[in-house]
Amino acid sequence: MTTTLDRGASTPPPPISAAVSVDQLSKTFTSRGVHALENISLELDPGTFASLIGPSGCGKSTLLKIMAGLLDATEGTVEIGGSRVEGPRPDIGMMFQEATLLPWRSTIENVVLPLEISHGRAAAKAARPKAMELLTTVGIGGFADAYPEELSGGMAQRAAICRMLITEPSVLFLDEPFGALDELTRELMNDELQRICASRDATSVMVTHSIAEAVYLSDVIYVMSARPGRIAARIEVDLPRPRTVDMITTPEFGQVMREVRAHLDSGAML
Amino acid sequence: MAVAQGTENTAMPQTVVTENAGSAVAASPRRAGARRGLPTAVNLAAFGVAVLAVWHLIAISGLVPPILFPGPVDVAQETWRTVVGMATGDHVLESLWITTSEILLGFVLAILVGFLLGCLVGETKFGTNVVMPYLVAINVMPKVAFAPVFVAWFGFGISSKVVMAAFIAFFPIIVDTAAGLASVERNKLMLFQSLGASRWQTLLKLKLPGALPHIFAGVKTAAVLVVVGAVVGEYLGGGNGLGELIKLSASQLRLDRVFAMIIFLSVVGLLLYALVGRIERKVVFWRHSSHLEINGS
Repeated sequence: MTTTLDRGASTPPPPISAAVSVDQLSKTFTSRGVHALENISLELDPGTFASLIGPSGCGKSTLLKIMAGLLDATEGTVEIGGSRVEGPRPDIGMMFQEATLLPWRSTIENVVLPLEISHGRAAAKAARPKAMELLTTVGIGGFADAYPEELSGGMAQRAAICRMLITEPSVLFLDEPFGALDELTRELMNDELQRICASRDATSVMVTHSIAEAVYLSDVIYVMSARPGRIAARIEVDLPRPRTVDMITTPEFGQVMREVRAHLDSGAML
Repeated sequence: MAVAQGTENTAMPQTVVTENAGSAVAASPRRAGARRGLPTAVNLAAFGVAVLAVWHLIAISGLVPPILFPGPVDVAQETWRTVVGMATGDHVLESLWITTSEILLGFVLAILVGFLLGCLVGETKFGTNVVMPYLVAINVMPKVAFAPVFVAWFGFGISSKVVMAAFIAFFPIIVDTAAGLASVERNKLMLFQSLGASRWQTLLKLKLPGALPHIFAGVKTAAVLVVVGAVVGEYLGGGNGLGELIKLSASQLRLDRVFAMIIFLSVVGLLLYALVGRIERKVVFWRHSSHLEINGS
């Protein structure tokens, strides 16, 4: 039924996306006495793509981990779809800078791993057709039975995207997802990500170092400043969707980039 | 004596590895590989022949009494005689079987104890902080010195040798298992945490498979040590194994026989090592080719 070349046509019905809200969140690492985050508040409507950008050590990764329930906040709360985040949740999909595929599992076995952990082997086996479909949509269906060492960096991250999507999460948290890839692969992957997020209407939060990447993908960009980490600016990106590579050279795109950079510089000097 | 035996056993598998590498290259369809592979094999054989020749020349020179220094021909003859004897079912076959069983049982025991203690040390704070220091203390003891203790506890039969063999061999498995469990990447741990994996799931699906290459390294070291342990056990604890026959032959100044026995022991050690290597290649299949893993760090 599904055709692979027709972009977006083969995606399953989008899961109900959820609003994400962070309320007066602070984080202190008591053991090191580091005040990592101070009074962070943000509201994301369902289906929003948001980026967190800021200098190294501004706590953007820490913030993402707290939002994903991997770290506890010292103060404040995170809510996803109206319920408080108190630990890892199945409605959250996560992606890391490295693909973190397990080398002893074939690509498709890696993709169904989240289901194997949450629902057991039988559920994972039953989900294989769905995993195959996901792999085909990102263009690596032919590598389903290959092992990670046979995949290139870009293919491995595509497999990691499928692994994130197999549980049909309503929010996606991406921690510098393509930071380890070369420029060209990175552009391709950003397009892939834009397409996936648009077709699923999932609420997404991405941590990135790249201003261009943030502008290219986001509806809203949160610029953070360091020590302690707080939000220095909230910039809405009013560029039309879908974004294309041609838009990067337009004055409008450049204007948003300049705005982000201005806040980054002043924020970094605080 | 026992130590010398140990070194010999360690050296042998290495030789085999080189040989395998040489023949693998020679067998490869690429011509460049074939050209490079042949001289390696030839060099290897030539060196072996040279060593044998020097040995032979010293033996026939009359500089050393032949009874103390049998030449390669004497040793080869004696080895062949023993093999023929074994084929007709004399007592050497039984001794070889006894020693082999000690080695295998000791190996299994070492793997079981080493693996379980390795998991305890690698997985729990109690193991790391409380158990490990005592294990290190045991490891620095001269373990051979415990042989009479095991004889006193387990008698002159096979069990005292099995325990001695395991006792000498188990420590590297602990260290490598614990190190393997600790070698898991932080990002992969975070992935499992984000998937809501239990501690047990994380151990079974992430840490243990990831630790396998390390564990096999420890098991291979143990495969060499376990032969040392069994022979030391036999030297000090009697019995009917090859160690006892070596002692007996040496006391009768039948050094050709001693060397023949050492050859048998080496073959057993070699086969055990090769077996572990074969299993490793099957189990840790993803380590076959060179690393194409993308690394961000």
